[in-house]
Amino acid sequence: MDAKEPDEALEHLVNRTLRELPLRRAPLTLESRVLGALEHRAELSWWRRSFAHWPLVARAAFLVICGALAKLAFLGGATAVAGVHSLHESAALSVSWVRPAAVLVVSAWNLAALLMRAAPPTWLYVGIAICAVLYAFLFGLGAAVYRTLYLQPLNGR
Amino acid sequence: MRAYQDMVFSTASRLTGNDRQAEDIAQEVFLRAYEHFAQLRTSPTAGGWLKTVTTHLTLNYLSRYRRRWRMFSELRHTTDDEDSVGPELAPQPDMLLADLNSEQRQALIDAAVRKLPEHQRVALVLYHFEELTYEEISIKLRASLTKIKTDIRRARAALLPLLQSSGIDAGQSH
Repeated sequence: MDAKEPDEALEHLVNRTLRELPLRRAPLTLESRVLGALEHRAELSWWRRSFAHWPLVARAAFLVICGALAKLAFLGGATAVAGVHSLHESAALSVSWVRPAAVLVVSAWNLAALLMRAAPPTWLYVGIAICAVLYAFLFGLGAAVYRTLYLQPLNGR
Repeated sequence: MRAYQDMVFSTASRLTGNDRQAEDIAQEVFLRAYEHFAQLRTSPTAGGWLKTVTTHLTLNYLSRYRRRWRMFSELRHTTDDEDSVGPELAPQPDMLLADLNSEQRQALIDAAVRKLPEHQRVALVLYHFEELTYEEISIKLRASLTKIKTDIRRARAALLPLLQSSGIDAGQSH
């Protein structure tokens, strides 16, 4: 006897039975929910809708502004680093706390650069691996705490 | 909307096994349909469009949101007995399912499908309700062909006792 026969018979049986099932009736609340959501959307100002629904001009302006801000951020970062260097080197620094702070930032930067140059690549990979493990550990810890302290009391209600 | 809401809700409900999530998905489907209202209003394929969008949104929901939050939100252990069927699916000895009327039997079978483990239920629904082939399901769910076939076979086997006790058998003709 062909071993496939029972499988095929079962497939036909399930197929026939499932296809005969009537559609499930949608909840009565569905229509009102959809209409409510449509009304809510219609009341929203264009800038509160999703990006795809913004006017073309607004979308273009948004992209231009984002590009400009990104460029400004890069320029600002470079200027800040240059400024810290110049503050560090300036003898005319009068504010008492700025100089030690500048020294600290520059020293930290130099130390990081030195470590990156001096450390063998293996150390770098080990460091990245440790960071990943710690991240996973903290993520798991967070999940366990959430389950224990938040979900279990909810389920116990 | 009234003409299609049961179809949309049924599709989402059978795939998710959860009415609340199905209602959320159905709402999203109709909101998207509204965005294409001008084309859909006169289209003879509006039903097909709605069904495709519903299936797509539901699978998207299942793969993205449920898996993302499973670690946080589900307390039950799914690994120990994932492939087995819950005891509620097996008919109780004292249940005289054959005595139920057709509507009650259908409701029972529908509930049994929704109680199947997710990976079995989704594959089964796509095969039998959405009429996709094994290969298409395998691509859609990004799972191997063997796993899809196994899941569907197990889902059918899980439903078999219920079907038999309902008086439905393979030899029954229609």
